[in-house]
Amino acid sequence: MLQKYEILAIIDSSLDEKKAEQQAQESVNKRIQEAGGKITFEDFWGARGFAYKIGKQTWGYYFCAQFELESKEMLELKRDLNIDGKIIRFLISKLDNHSPAPMTHTEIETQWTSQEKERKISEMDSKKAKRTNVPKKEVIVEDDEEETTKKSVEKESLKKMEKKTEPKKDIIDRKLDEILEDSSLDL
Amino acid sequence: MPPRPKKFICTFCRNEQSYIDYKNSKLLSGFITYYRSMQSRFHTGVCLKHQKQLANAIKKSRIMALLPFVRYEKKK
Repeated sequence: MLQKYEILAIIDSSLDEKKAEQQAQESVNKRIQEAGGKITFEDFWGARGFAYKIGKQTWGYYFCAQFELESKEMLELKRDLNIDGKIIRFLISKLDNHSPAPMTHTEIETQWTSQEKERKISEMDSKKAKRTNVPKKEVIVEDDEEETTKKSVEKESLKKMEKKTEPKKDIIDRKLDEILEDSSLDL
Repeated sequence: MPPRPKKFICTFCRNEQSYIDYKNSKLLSGFITYYRSMQSRFHTGVCLKHQKQLANAIKKSRIMALLPFVRYEKKK
């Protein structure tokens, strides 16, 4: 069964850049063609540093390719690539019908930078919008002042109510005292 | 009860990006912590569908030495 694959291989850093490109053609492309496959896309990234050391090496050449191959031939290809001394590491992944069109490494990076710029610009715009919204809050503060005046009026009315209630208490107290002082009741 | 407001919007959903490439190491480096472990969905605001794709992409790029497994500190 024919299937689409993608390979990313790292080539030894002891070679020159031109020799490394030839080495990639020899060790990857020729083997696929011998197995009856067809190469649809290839891209040589060039020299690139590793994120960590691989067998005392700090950098290498990256090579990416897409191809179609019978799934039976895959085992032999993997075995051959593992035996090859010039290829440090490789990764083969399947491609679906939904996967996008192939892009070179420089195209991927330029697309990413343009998206990043757009994202930053949108962030700045949102921050500006927040700043412009601040004067609207001041309008609300004016409303608050009206509320405070209402509250002050209410407080004054409460105080008046308290003043009104105080004399009533006094009257009750006086009456109580009068009753207590009365000798006729014999309490 | 009114509906809860959404704090984050998934960055991949906004760009209508269905496929996350493991070769794009600059993009993936934004979803990694200071100690180079994967950033959780809680902090980045990525949706579940894209977080699963993103985790696979980071693992692949680590194998090809595009991203580190752990933070490497130089000896003084």
